[in-house]
Amino acid sequence: MEVVAEQPLVIQGLTKRYGKVQAVRGIDLAVRAGEVFGFVGPNGAGKSTTIRCILDLLHPTSGKIRVFGLDPRRRGADIRERVAYVPGELRLPERLTGRQFLGSIGRLRRKFDRDRVAELANRFNLDLDRAIRHLSSGNRRKVTVLSAFLSDADLLILDEPTGGLDPLMQHEFIRLVRERQAAGATVFLSSHILSEVQSVADRLAVLRAGEIVASGTVNEVRGLARQRVEVWFETDAPTGLTQIPDVGEARIEGRRFTAVLTGSARPLIDALAGQPVESITIEEPDLEEAFLGLYQEAATS
Amino acid sequence: MTGRALELLRIPLRMARRAGLIWGLSLAALVVLTVAFYPAFRDEPELSGIIESIPQPLVDAFGLSDFGTPAGFLRGNLYAVLVPLLMAVAGVILMNGQTAVDEDAGRMEVYLAQPVRRWSVFLGRAAGIVGWLLVIGVVMLAAQLASDAVFDVDIATERIVATVVLCTLLGVFHGAVAAAVAGWTGRPGVVLGVGLAIAVAGYIAIALFPISDVLEPWRHASPWDWALGGDPLASGTEAWRYLALGLPSLAIIALGAWGFGRRDVQAA
Repeated sequence: MEVVAEQPLVIQGLTKRYGKVQAVRGIDLAVRAGEVFGFVGPNGAGKSTTIRCILDLLHPTSGKIRVFGLDPRRRGADIRERVAYVPGELRLPERLTGRQFLGSIGRLRRKFDRDRVAELANRFNLDLDRAIRHLSSGNRRKVTVLSAFLSDADLLILDEPTGGLDPLMQHEFIRLVRERQAAGATVFLSSHILSEVQSVADRLAVLRAGEIVASGTVNEVRGLARQRVEVWFETDAPTGLTQIPDVGEARIEGRRFTAVLTGSARPLIDALAGQPVESITIEEPDLEEAFLGLYQEAATS
Repeated sequence: MTGRALELLRIPLRMARRAGLIWGLSLAALVVLTVAFYPAFRDEPELSGIIESIPQPLVDAFGLSDFGTPAGFLRGNLYAVLVPLLMAVAGVILMNGQTAVDEDAGRMEVYLAQPVRRWSVFLGRAAGIVGWLLVIGVVMLAAQLASDAVFDVDIATERIVATVVLCTLLGVFHGAVAAAVAGWTGRPGVVLGVGLAIAVAGYIAIALFPISDVLEPWRHASPWDWALGGDPLASGTEAWRYLALGLPSLAIIALGAWGFGRRDVQAA
């Protein structure tokens, strides 16, 4: 296996089994330096299990993980020196205040910067002097986000990082991610909320039941999406339109033709060329819809 | 000690502060309240008569011999059963809280994701709890010495020190056992069950095994025997007893840390 030493994250053939449950069933992915990589899938798809393997909290059943060229099993502490992590679960030391907890994490990272903590707390409107057990889930989320962003890690691993944050704070979070990316950091962003990933990720992998069912740039994955098409003709719609490749659910009602585009738009556009088309609408595909398409495919296959 | 190691020690010291203080003050209160009754016992010779009517094996089992003397009084009321048992329970519960319970609740993950080795996080937790057990011992020792002076219990200070230190080390030993089970399983219920079972089994071995000729030699397998087998209140102690409890404790904790570094962290 060839691994470029500075490639932030490479996963090959990763599997993880808990007893009889196969949580991860052979994942391959490679995250490039400086990109935001989206890791998308519904709850229980194996996202957190994969992330825990990367951090050496779990030992893979089989497969290979390399973080900056290092094996988490052997060099976990060295890897974590360059990796910051926002856990999906908000399990924090309840009695500590946010300031005490962040101070503790800062000292473990040897990068405790009081001003940086104060600046981030201010941006996220977080009261650092309240005990964590008295914080709402949104404020607890801010504490975990701050714990990852107070050091200048080269790789940020964010597991469902915006759950519980209100839209304003989600926006602030995205800004923070972009700032770190601009400073050269790589971001591995897991989420079941597609819009969150769609707007910020360069590339993404879609995970379902422990397997990657799609991956590529956001546009490529969108290419897999189902797009609704509506065409109005000046006269009755030509009947041949129902036979075009990559066009499904084609229906003709007088002058109106509707269908769902399942692949390239080209065969349809070719067929429409020279026809008396009055108007054409192709809906912008949402990844949500792309996702559902994938789900149905996986479910029927 | 590096800043990281210091922080890993600070975390459990701070998290277990409330529990540690409660244990220390409760044991101190138990000691003071018990010793406060000493003048009444001493002036009531009939009590010795009652104890003389009890069969000798039972008197030994419950540490009731020489009940009228200061050493006998303290042994029978505190240091034969109650204090060592409570120290062992404190060791198991406090250690469980900072290891398996915290891990099982998912609260250890944020620390394990930092640039520190897995076993060092665990070792910091175990060391922090050993630290609290020593504090509890010191608080109890201070309460014992102070109440001895106030209530006129005439007993050599070095015997009190030896007894309290040995009981504290018995607590450390059971904490170490809890740490080992936590390190290898990460399951709070198992830690509690195994820890308390070993504490009770150890007590039964020194209390009841002497009654049977067949079982008698096996009393020496009990940590209770290593700690209190020499009757430290009556006759002081040998130095090896400290080592017999302390060295295995360190080894058992190390074993737990090793196990913790090798297995999956429990997912919350």
